[in-house]
Amino acid sequence: MEMFRSNTVWYIICQPPTACGYSTGQLRFRGVSQMPVAEGKSVQQTVELLTRKLEVLGAEKQGTFCVDCETYHTAASTLGSQGQAGKLMYVMHNSEYPLSCFALFENGPCLTADTNFDVLMVKLKGFFQSAKASKIETRGTRYQYCDFLVKVGTVTMGPSARGISVEVEYGPCVVASDCWSLLLEFLQSFLGSHTPGAPAVFGNRHDTVYGPADTMVQYMELFNKIRKQPQVPVAGIR
Amino acid sequence: MEAPPVTMMPVTGGTINMMEYLLQGSVLDHSLESLIHRLRGLCDNMEPETFLDHEIVFLLKGQQASPFVLRARRSMDRTGAPWHLRYLGQPEMGDKNRHALVRNCVDIATSENLTDFLMEMGFRMDHEFVTKGHLFRKGIMKITVYKIFRILVPGNTDSTEALSLSYLVELSVVAPAGQDMVSDDMRNFAEQLKPLVHLEKIDPKRLM
Repeated sequence: MEMFRSNTVWYIICQPPTACGYSTGQLRFRGVSQMPVAEGKSVQQTVELLTRKLEVLGAEKQGTFCVDCETYHTAASTLGSQGQAGKLMYVMHNSEYPLSCFALFENGPCLTADTNFDVLMVKLKGFFQSAKASKIETRGTRYQYCDFLVKVGTVTMGPSARGISVEVEYGPCVVASDCWSLLLEFLQSFLGSHTPGAPAVFGNRHDTVYGPADTMVQYMELFNKIRKQPQVPVAGIR
Repeated sequence: MEAPPVTMMPVTGGTINMMEYLLQGSVLDHSLESLIHRLRGLCDNMEPETFLDHEIVFLLKGQQASPFVLRARRSMDRTGAPWHLRYLGQPEMGDKNRHALVRNCVDIATSENLTDFLMEMGFRMDHEFVTKGHLFRKGIMKITVYKIFRILVPGNTDSTEALSLSYLVELSVVAPAGQDMVSDDMRNFAEQLKPLVHLEKIDPKRLM
């Protein structure tokens, strides 16, 4: 099954923080609040600004990427017996792991499963219902710069662009704390003062091996922040 | 290192409606050897494969009449193997032209935190058991011969006791819905196992 790939060295990354992380090694820069859209610029223009900086650095374009997230809430029918009203479950996909599906609870476990999990959610629709118009995703270009993989994406919810995500992954290292300084330095080279602090996902387990689930947790947190912020500051894709 | 292939759209596969075709029977312990011997002769030429699994059945109760059942299974003899989550739909007996019991099934390989995740979803453990036995294949058919063990102390798979003096024999095929012809192959194969074991489509409702 696909999840085993993450244990191989080349796939590991270390991730820094800003928004989401990915399989071992990513840094996600979280869009609007962390990396303010430049004044007078649209999300798209800011993305272009970033990617141009990467290209000037010498990063090579390597296709595209997509991370999506669907929110499910406990169907009303089960609230009484389970007493867990309001608990949200997130089901996510990442084009970097095309055969996997990730299911998460906020501050809870992240299950890595194969994509048949999506079929199970259909069977479970009497118990878990997808929240209307809650689908959020980020799409963009994937860049390779030596051992770093950088993904700059536009976060959209429905038709509107809500922010920018930046993920940085450092391939040769599987332990986040061992390469955090390196990631940070790399980030500074193109994000400048917008460089994020260490991702919360590393908070209490700095020395453990980084895996794809850690990246998905970072993306989930990023998406949740973006959902909560008012839609106004971003002009939208022009 | 080569970058993995990247697609714009994550593959959200598994939309095919898969069905499990099933025939069941049992043999007494003392007949096990001759059945295994026969299966080795009939099945694909592969190394004899054994398994030792721990299966936990979870229920999610809502206001619906029947709870939602999921089965989580892990291998106890292959460390590092993924956990297996399984949904089984209502079994359909069908008519006499279909020679096997049919039920919808969804098989999912998952990470090892499956139990915690199901509890977080609101599932509660209903029962658990250990299965130990042999696995054979013949094309897409899977034949398992195994014994079920009761777990004496909840959660402790070291302390078990056999549930009966017999082995359960199952012949199954997982195929897309509508491929009823696979049940013909299953019947033919089952015929070849007689009289060592009689594999039949057993209506679970009859046993309740």
